[in-house]
Amino acid sequence: MTPRARAGFITLFLLPASALYALFVVIPVVQAFAFSLYRWRGISANRTFIGLENFQQLFNDPLVWRALSHNLLLFVGTSVVILTVSLALAHAVGAESALARFLRSVYLFPQVISLVVVAILWMFILNPSFGILNATLKAVGLKEWAITWLGNPYTALASIGVAHVWHALGFYIMLFAAALRTIPTDVMEAATLDGATGLVRLRYVTLPLLWAVLRIALVYMAIGTMNIFSLVFLMTQGGPDRATEVMLTYLYEQAFKHSEFGYATALAVVNFVLVMALSGAILTLFRHNPQEGRG
Amino acid sequence: MKAGRYALIVTVLIAVSAVIVSCGRQQPTSSLEVACFKGGYGIDFFEQAAREYEKLHPGVKIKVWGNPRVWEQLRPRFVAGNPPDLTYPGWGMDHWALVYEGQVIPLDEYLDSPPYGKSEGKWRDTFEPSLLALCQYQGKTYMLPYFFSMLGWWYNKDMFEKNGWKPPRTWSELLALCEKIKAKGIAPITYQGIYPAYAVSGFLIPWAISAGGIEAFDNAQNLVPGAWKSPAFLKAAQMIDELRRRGYFQEGANGMDHTGAQMEFISGRAAMIPCGTWLHSEMRNVLPPNFRMGFMLPPVLDDGKGDPTAVGIGIEPWMVPTKGKNRELAIDFYKYMTSLEKAKQFVEQKGTLMSIRGSDQANYPEHLKEPVEVFRRAKTVWSVEYRQWYPKLGKEVEDATAALLAGNITPEQFVERLERAAEATRQDKNIPKHTYTRGKDR
Repeated sequence: MTPRARAGFITLFLLPASALYALFVVIPVVQAFAFSLYRWRGISANRTFIGLENFQQLFNDPLVWRALSHNLLLFVGTSVVILTVSLALAHAVGAESALARFLRSVYLFPQVISLVVVAILWMFILNPSFGILNATLKAVGLKEWAITWLGNPYTALASIGVAHVWHALGFYIMLFAAALRTIPTDVMEAATLDGATGLVRLRYVTLPLLWAVLRIALVYMAIGTMNIFSLVFLMTQGGPDRATEVMLTYLYEQAFKHSEFGYATALAVVNFVLVMALSGAILTLFRHNPQEGRG
Repeated sequence: MKAGRYALIVTVLIAVSAVIVSCGRQQPTSSLEVACFKGGYGIDFFEQAAREYEKLHPGVKIKVWGNPRVWEQLRPRFVAGNPPDLTYPGWGMDHWALVYEGQVIPLDEYLDSPPYGKSEGKWRDTFEPSLLALCQYQGKTYMLPYFFSMLGWWYNKDMFEKNGWKPPRTWSELLALCEKIKAKGIAPITYQGIYPAYAVSGFLIPWAISAGGIEAFDNAQNLVPGAWKSPAFLKAAQMIDELRRRGYFQEGANGMDHTGAQMEFISGRAAMIPCGTWLHSEMRNVLPPNFRMGFMLPPVLDDGKGDPTAVGIGIEPWMVPTKGKNRELAIDFYKYMTSLEKAKQFVEQKGTLMSIRGSDQANYPEHLKEPVEVFRRAKTVWSVEYRQWYPKLGKEVEDATAALLAGNITPEQFVERLERAAEATRQDKNIPKHTYTRGKDR
């Protein structure tokens, strides 16, 4: 087959999928950019072109900034926890022991549970009246610690973060466990023979070899927390008093409760750009493995 | 002979086709699409009504469909200009946006025509006037009520009887009772903290009305400057704050959703809860056998200016889309559904109150007897309309109420926040404004 015919053949096979992707992904995204320039209630075909007014309003809307800061807080907080815990557990599941076998069989459970169920489960755990968390705290004599986790503006966001971590952890354990297996055993053995064990080996051998995976994991975490919706919507509705409002719950409120579809679309566009920018920033910042090229 | 045979055949053909044509004229097949919100009362009643109507009107075909998120499916249909003929889009639909966009028709012409199956009288007069008044914008009626809910407090009847407690009618009775309940180790009052709308209509508004009279609330809804920070609203906020400081609200209630708080109530860990008349049907699957709940109005101030019989109500309206294909039939079917006979059936089958006058003469389930009495006695009726008219103001009132209940802001800061939100709504020229004119209520 000539290269030309080969290219034609490939194009032929790519065409149907590309057409569907264009129809259901590319065109709606482009449309969204267009709708963000209109005042539109989203209930009739009437739209008024208002240029960049929605974006102007958005930058002056303190609630957008507040929601965005919650997204970023969730990103920073949960990614630190997820990274450390999932790396440790990824090590643990790779070992040969009864505990490792047990961990291997359960660590993906939270990941396969629907988010709605995760939300309800955590609402039960955190329930101030009959929840297991407060019951445990009271049982061990920490009565003052037994608070209204989801009703308190200082703990509500963190509580959602915990539920998010619990749900997401399995995926990252899987990712890191798989990456750990790709590290050749002779490298590890050599490091051990040279006296690098424990944290030293983790820092100078394991982490550099996992660098590419860590970078991708961070991008996933950024996307996951910037687009968080279900957990917040179900557990707190963005409350109390906006303490857990995030970009997408605010977008939902604008679109479906306030019939501000143009404004909501502008929010979606901004969120899209932010996710892209954050992912790009992560990829750039972590482009060079700091351990590479060292003498 | 041959010519005669042909003549016969032609005659027969003409006769047969004449019969076919006239049959067609007598029974034109027309169809109707009715899209309904499928909430706690289901849509089986409307489906049944459709089958009955089809029997009464041969040739008519009615398709009734619905689900619990029907408003999400209806939005694109409205945008595409292809809505159903008649719809009950449910609480998730921004009803007034449909009105502003000309997507639903004014119904006054039809309301002035006779009711179903009658040759005289006005359909309008068969509705509770206070409920019909909620469906108007700039003097025209765009929606129609069906069933309605009443807002108030529920108390645990057995717990009250066992302890010799009486449902409190006044603020001082409430405080005295709460102290006794608390002493028993039971939370006096719980509430659905994640959805502060319950606390707004269960505490804030009834107490503002009690303190300042119904004008205090009407003015607030009509965005009269200063109305949201009037002494009436400040007093109501102080009352909420006092209950919080005295520890009469259940600990942790501000972190509970509606199901969570309502479970606390029916499991006996809390004695009272603000909720609408839907509470019984919402919780019926988890109600302990023989659980008895009593309905009462929120206790009023001992020397309050407001009418102590004032009661809050809420409707979920029906409407006729402008671009529906069969307007007349849609109206006639809705007239059938709102006939006194059907209204009474709805009350009996679904256990809720109906907007049709005289339907309260039906056989009520036990838990509705007290609400019916309260409604019959009520001289003033109010409804939270600003939340539908101005969703942003509604959201801010709810957020501020959550903050007040959590003790994060003072009553003074609370009313300032409400007034600021009202001012923002007043100044926003993109928000169409409503005025509620209070007629003779009952």
